[in-house]
Amino acid sequence: MFKSNHLITILLLLVPGLLLAQQKKVTISGTIKDKASGETLPGATVGFTQLPGIGVSANTYGYYAISVPEGQLTLVASYAGYKTDTIKVDATKNTVININLASGNSQLQEVVIKSSTNKNSNVLTAPAGVQRLSIESIKNVPVLAGEKDILKTIQLLPGVVSAGDGRAGFYVRGGGPDQNLILLDGATVYNASHLLGFFSVFNSDAIKDISIYKGGMPASYGGRLSSVEDITMNDGNNQRIGVNGGLGLIASRLTVDGPLFNKKGSFIVSARRTYADLFTNLASDTTIKGSKFYFYDFNAKANYQINDNNRIFLSGYFGKDVMNIKKVNGIDYANTTGTFRWNHIFSEKLFSNTSLIYSNYNYNTSYLNFANNVKVTSAITDYHFKQDFNYYINPSNKLDFGFESTYHITQPGSATADADSKYNNVVLGLKHSIESAAYLSNEWSPSAKWKITYGVRLSDLDVVGPGNFYTYDVAGNVLTTTNYGSLKSVKNYFNPEPRVAANYQLNDQTALKLSYDRTVQNIHLLSNTSATSPTSIYLPSTNIVKPEVGDQVALGYYHTFHQNDWEFSSEVYYRTLQNQIDYKDGANLIGNENVEADLLFGKGRAYGWENFLKKKTGKLTGWISYALSKSERQIAGINNGNWYNASQDQTHHLSIVSMYQASKKWTLSASFVYSTGNPITYPNGKFTVDGAPVYTYGDRNASRQPAYNRLDLGATLYTKKTSRLESSWNFSIYNVYGRANPYTIDFQRDPQNPDKSQVQLTTLFKFVPAVTYNFKF
Amino acid sequence: MKTLKTIFILFVVACAAISCTKTITPVLPDNGTQLVIEGVVSDTTGPYHVNISKTVNFYADNVDPSVSGATVTITDVTSGITDNLSETSAGVYTTHTIVGAYGHLYRMTAFVNGKTYTATSTMPQLVKIDSVSFDYSDKKQIRPVAWYQDPAQFTNYYKYSLTVNDVRLKRFSTFEDRLSNGRYIRDKADVDTMEIKNHNVVKFSLVGIDVGAYTFLSEAADVAYNNSSLAAPATPVSNISGGCVGYFSAQTVSSATGTASY
Repeated sequence: MFKSNHLITILLLLVPGLLLAQQKKVTISGTIKDKASGETLPGATVGFTQLPGIGVSANTYGYYAISVPEGQLTLVASYAGYKTDTIKVDATKNTVININLASGNSQLQEVVIKSSTNKNSNVLTAPAGVQRLSIESIKNVPVLAGEKDILKTIQLLPGVVSAGDGRAGFYVRGGGPDQNLILLDGATVYNASHLLGFFSVFNSDAIKDISIYKGGMPASYGGRLSSVEDITMNDGNNQRIGVNGGLGLIASRLTVDGPLFNKKGSFIVSARRTYADLFTNLASDTTIKGSKFYFYDFNAKANYQINDNNRIFLSGYFGKDVMNIKKVNGIDYANTTGTFRWNHIFSEKLFSNTSLIYSNYNYNTSYLNFANNVKVTSAITDYHFKQDFNYYINPSNKLDFGFESTYHITQPGSATADADSKYNNVVLGLKHSIESAAYLSNEWSPSAKWKITYGVRLSDLDVVGPGNFYTYDVAGNVLTTTNYGSLKSVKNYFNPEPRVAANYQLNDQTALKLSYDRTVQNIHLLSNTSATSPTSIYLPSTNIVKPEVGDQVALGYYHTFHQNDWEFSSEVYYRTLQNQIDYKDGANLIGNENVEADLLFGKGRAYGWENFLKKKTGKLTGWISYALSKSERQIAGINNGNWYNASQDQTHHLSIVSMYQASKKWTLSASFVYSTGNPITYPNGKFTVDGAPVYTYGDRNASRQPAYNRLDLGATLYTKKTSRLESSWNFSIYNVYGRANPYTIDFQRDPQNPDKSQVQLTTLFKFVPAVTYNFKF
Repeated sequence: MKTLKTIFILFVVACAAISCTKTITPVLPDNGTQLVIEGVVSDTTGPYHVNISKTVNFYADNVDPSVSGATVTITDVTSGITDNLSETSAGVYTTHTIVGAYGHLYRMTAFVNGKTYTATSTMPQLVKIDSVSFDYSDKKQIRPVAWYQDPAQFTNYYKYSLTVNDVRLKRFSTFEDRLSNGRYIRDKADVDTMEIKNHNVVKFSLVGIDVGAYTFLSEAADVAYNNSSLAAPATPVSNISGGCVGYFSAQTVSSATGTASY
């Protein structure tokens, strides 16, 4: 543990606003909500016609507060996809103004407001590398099997790339798939994919929005190197009971939400299940028949507004995947999260959120090999406490501070065998660690042109007993074994993580953004297969495995035009990564007490140039995203210690997404993706061992897979749209022109001619049509 | 991880989506050829052989060009006997006197084109195969099963090889007792589709090897049959020093024969 009190005091002194005498000001505060449903609108903005250049956006709970000079003001509240609202305010004393916005665009009005307020676009004031997407804004983006999916959609943004068809996970700015912190209502979701990447675990009916941070990381987030995906669940309609759902070819879903306690609260319950296994039972093939492939998930959330200053939330997620091939093997894995939150308004200026969070991910692999049945079980469990404060000091300073602590328990793969199996039972000790952090960050607007956010996150990992801890010689043999008692500190890692982001507004349409941040990661995912698989192992930092440390500098140019209908951004970044993990050849990850001896450590660097052009309103909307990037690693023991391309390195990555409202009934959409093939290690020769061809390899990742490209089309037909009932049909085709994108590339003996070898490319999804019926009443 | 892929492909098939494979011919790196040495001493009746050849381009035929004119010796270090091998056919070097003995340490030295390659290997104690049976659950891929007791007092490494109607299959698989020490083992050997048919006579050879040979052979098996799911496939690490691929193994062999019949 560390002494954070002194540091916090010193940091507080750095806040200029605290040292300045203030002129007479009043604070306007409140919550911004959707008029029809009562859902809070995080990120909605508030400004005043009389005060150009001054504005604030609502926090995750829709809360805003802003200090203004006394006087008669006109408040302007706006949010993408909603009608802008103006409210006259008699700002002579601290005033609570709760705002309800009605959904729907009213462009004429927006133009008037914008020209009169000189209101800046959100994109200009947000820190570099941050993007917020609402479910509403992505509902027409075509996706695989017609399930709208927020985690799939962010992979169409610059700097975020998919790990490929049939692969779970994604890469952000050249980082690894385990370097993304995926939060659902503040709880870590360790495996965010269903059916090995076919779907994400986020049921779009239960999700409100996602904020993605790939640079300029706020100090309140930590624990992963590359990005944060902060996903918020819907609160539920507090005005009336609603039901909505969808029937699809692969999955169906149903959501019920409504008011609680005389509209002082609301709830939402959402469930989803696939039924691909119903088809497998119809199959004639004996292996497929009786095999199980399904997932289900369940989201629930309730909130209650105790009084004006207190609101509590309880939310939970449970999802499970089962994939069993009869008599061969099976995989099942499950994520569980639970969050209790308490929003408390101490005063207009001080907003507090207290969270108690539980998160669990467990995964079981059964190998049903003849008589040799064995089940390998791994798990990670977090108990997490987090306290956040937003302190709206004055118009030019907003202070965020807080602390958190997580107790991680990981079970790194234990095997249970049948009595007559060839395997012994292997029980590996649980690993325990306490990850804590305190942070402080000030958003300082010294003038209308400048906004500077600066702060520090002090992170700490305490590796604790009980358990055996080892040291190893160069060859990986155990040198010493030390047993530690319960909660006895084995190793402590303390890391200050400075975070700075500056925005400079050149004019009403243009801003420059510069950011530097350091991030530290203490939970590592070990996987020596070519994709994130449920059999991977989570390992906290130990005496051998050091925290991964990332540093990133990013510079961005942001421009909006046509009354903010269009936005353009161009960003460059450079990152360095320390203590990256790789594996010795033939490393054993399963049932290996000394897995650390099989690891190699090194560093990485990644840099790139990302461009993004988006059209936000009108009949035709969408975006074009292009990134030019590089990601490399240097690991002692690999490639003779020379730099080599990381597996996620993609030189070019292009995404084009467009949605067109053809009529009141029809919305058409299309998306196109192109990227350079990922690096791969191809053989450079072969020889025979006992007559079987075996391959030799040269430099790591020296070749490239074929380029990836794909066009998806979608169409939505609104069959009914009344205030009581809404129904629509969604049609989609994934990979329209049937591009054979690589899933696996096998080097093998030619089955037709055993004297020859061949290269087999397997494609998963060629031309996948889907239809879904969605309803809402 | 092959199984993961199978699961996924089956899933996709079940979803009525279309997964497919096609043959491609990507440009492969070419870093020249490497020397290949494969040498064996066993507890079966000699003579024993050391084969020396070169690697070939991936798209070439599966025939390793032999390397002649090497000087090869095998020494039983435990008993101090050295055997100078003779090249009996191109690239095949054959022992004269040496006899395999359990627990003995053997050293192979090969002098090829001015460079010396050496390896040592210790012959483990014999592990006997009890019998062979067959798994008929997939009639298209009948898999032979070896029955044997893994000795608890040793760390054991195995190679499985098969003959079908006296023809040796061009395939091998490996097993170690890391998670199975002291168990009674019933283990299937991998075969290709239709390699074993009804009424075929199958000889299952349980080959006991040491850790150096096992490391090479298990990595070789991974690269040969499972390369697409390896995050970073690499040339199998040889137990022969001097910069070549291949292995030298002092090994035990125990065989059992059965007839596939259903």
